[in-house]
Amino acid sequence: MGGAGCTQKEPADSVQIRFVAWRPNQPEVWKEIIFHDLLTQKLKNKSKDVDVFFMDVIWPPEFAAAGWAMELDDIFDSMERDAFLPRTILANTYQGRIYGVPLFIDAGLLYYRKDLLEKYGFQPPQTWDELILQAQKIVSGERKAGYDIVGYTAQFKQYEGLVCDMMEFILSNKGEIVDANGKSLIADSKAIEAVRFVRDEIIGKIASQGVLSYQEPESLDLFMQGHAVFMRNWPYAWSHANDLEKSRVAGKVGIAKLPHFKGGESYSTLGGWQLGISKYSENKNEAWKFIKFLTSARIQKLYAIKAGKAPTRKALYADRDVIKYNPHFKDMKDVFLTAYPRPRSPLYPSISNVLQRYFSRVISDPESDIESEAVQASIEIEKVISLVQ
Amino acid sequence: MILSLQERERAFGLILIIPTFLFVVIFSLYPIIYSFYLSFHRIILGLPGLGQKFVGFQNYIDLFHDRIALHSMFNTLAFVFVSTLCEIILGLIIALVIHQQFKGRGAVRAAVLVPWAIPTVVASQMWRFLFNDKYGLINFAFFGSDITAYRAWLADPFFAFCAIIFADVWKTSSFAALLILAGLQTIPDELYKAAKIDGASGWQRFTHITLPLIKPALLIALLFRTMDALRIFDLVFVMTQGGPADSTNVLQFYGYKKIFAEGLMGYGSTISVFVFLITLIISIFYIKAIGSRLIEEKT
Repeated sequence: MGGAGCTQKEPADSVQIRFVAWRPNQPEVWKEIIFHDLLTQKLKNKSKDVDVFFMDVIWPPEFAAAGWAMELDDIFDSMERDAFLPRTILANTYQGRIYGVPLFIDAGLLYYRKDLLEKYGFQPPQTWDELILQAQKIVSGERKAGYDIVGYTAQFKQYEGLVCDMMEFILSNKGEIVDANGKSLIADSKAIEAVRFVRDEIIGKIASQGVLSYQEPESLDLFMQGHAVFMRNWPYAWSHANDLEKSRVAGKVGIAKLPHFKGGESYSTLGGWQLGISKYSENKNEAWKFIKFLTSARIQKLYAIKAGKAPTRKALYADRDVIKYNPHFKDMKDVFLTAYPRPRSPLYPSISNVLQRYFSRVISDPESDIESEAVQASIEIEKVISLVQ
Repeated sequence: MILSLQERERAFGLILIIPTFLFVVIFSLYPIIYSFYLSFHRIILGLPGLGQKFVGFQNYIDLFHDRIALHSMFNTLAFVFVSTLCEIILGLIIALVIHQQFKGRGAVRAAVLVPWAIPTVVASQMWRFLFNDKYGLINFAFFGSDITAYRAWLADPFFAFCAIIFADVWKTSSFAALLILAGLQTIPDELYKAAKIDGASGWQRFTHITLPLIKPALLIALLFRTMDALRIFDLVFVMTQGGPADSTNVLQFYGYKKIFAEGLMGYGSTISVFVFLITLIISIFYIKAIGSRLIEEKT
């Protein structure tokens, strides 16, 4: 299973064993498709060895428009869909039809060192300015005592995760990436303000310069080793950070909503993984049974407890066992319900590349001309969007 | 029809070549022609409803107005120039050393080849860890245990570019060394002996005997390295993904993103064709230079 750096060795193995035990005569439909570029090539060539595939939350429009994902309207009826979080169902819908079943939901969260915030008398920060002040105080205090620590760690490498992180800053400043009519808003003052903040106050300041090369594993590693006060990451990081064997900060981790800018609101980027069926599969019935199994309440609960993956079935957020292992799910359910999707378009990869390029250029160069780069990026984004119309 | 011996031998020769010829046609010629074909169309995988419109040279015109593509071409040419220069110089030094007689020379020669033998993707991962800003050995070598002084090499546009060059030079200098060593071994010892008797210094022997006589080998090494460097991909894909801020975005990687990540097969093929044409032109230029030199040497 691919995705932004999550390891799912244990639950995946145990899930496979259970499936085989349940239906021992079923033909083998379990296949690991690792990443987007490989999967799209197989589907483009109408390959018969893909039956079920994972889709990142941003792929359904692309896979639907390209004719790779099978329409599931007939077999995934509205009563069934009601059991899932509405935003995840929306992410799988394209032009009124549904193309995938949501398995996990992800949203950006703020992780912090409970022990350090307590020691210095802080409550979790509400605004980015507060976070900066808290980070500076804690870091200087801890460094004096001889501990190596930075204020903030997140994902700022030039890849898809960069778009997720930057979008959270922009949205929390009342900015937007694209509006409902396909007009790009990243050259607006609110968006530029947020990006400037990241460049001038975060990169190389409370976060090390190295975050420009971090994806999820690197930023999580740093936090788990006890070298960061705050971290922005996905829900899966909870179980890793509290793993007594691997993490130095197990039990000292707090979770909160991401901060916002003054006058704005906290926003998290919507992430998550869904399951789709290949239009060229020769085992469509078995594929659907497998998907039903994998997205069933029992399996989602298993994933939640063992790997900290946030389920997409609404009922599980009231389940006692799930809450026991993931107490933050209760508080964060709000965040999951309001997580904000990235622009939904069959050409999202092109849009994303423009955004990745723009963000990376601007935040890695303290002298960058944000306004003109933003205008350039806007033109390119609108060119891509016009292709779809 | 009775064929003469010569004609029969020729016919037999042609038949023997057919398997190789088919191989080259299927695996080399066909993909190249197909790429040309694709580059004249507009193909967007995510929007199959738009079909595969024939657009003539529009993709090429777009390519020359694409500032990212132009920037990546600049990156590629800069990479080719610096890395090839370093590899030839380092390869020459290595070849001169392993050409000498000393105990354990066989083991050293084998060791020199190890970087070349490691698959590029594996070597790239290794270098990615070595350059890591928290636990990388390069930082350890420079700064020891002073973790706060560690630099994030791959997060800085300039140093990321240097890191790619460094990793490539490490990997392929031994290849250049091998080619140059072959050239060194054709130089007759008597020339050096005669020069020594005439009182020539080591440096004079090097510049007046060695260098001129290995020029063909140098040019061949240069040819191979230039051709390979123009198509660099693995190192960029694993170590930096073209970043930060497109500083390590090279043509081949940009073409990959266009074709596979964005599904723009027409435009991406244009980039591939462009890389192919540049490589072809430079190679023809080198071969003409080498060819005339080789003929010069023989007469």
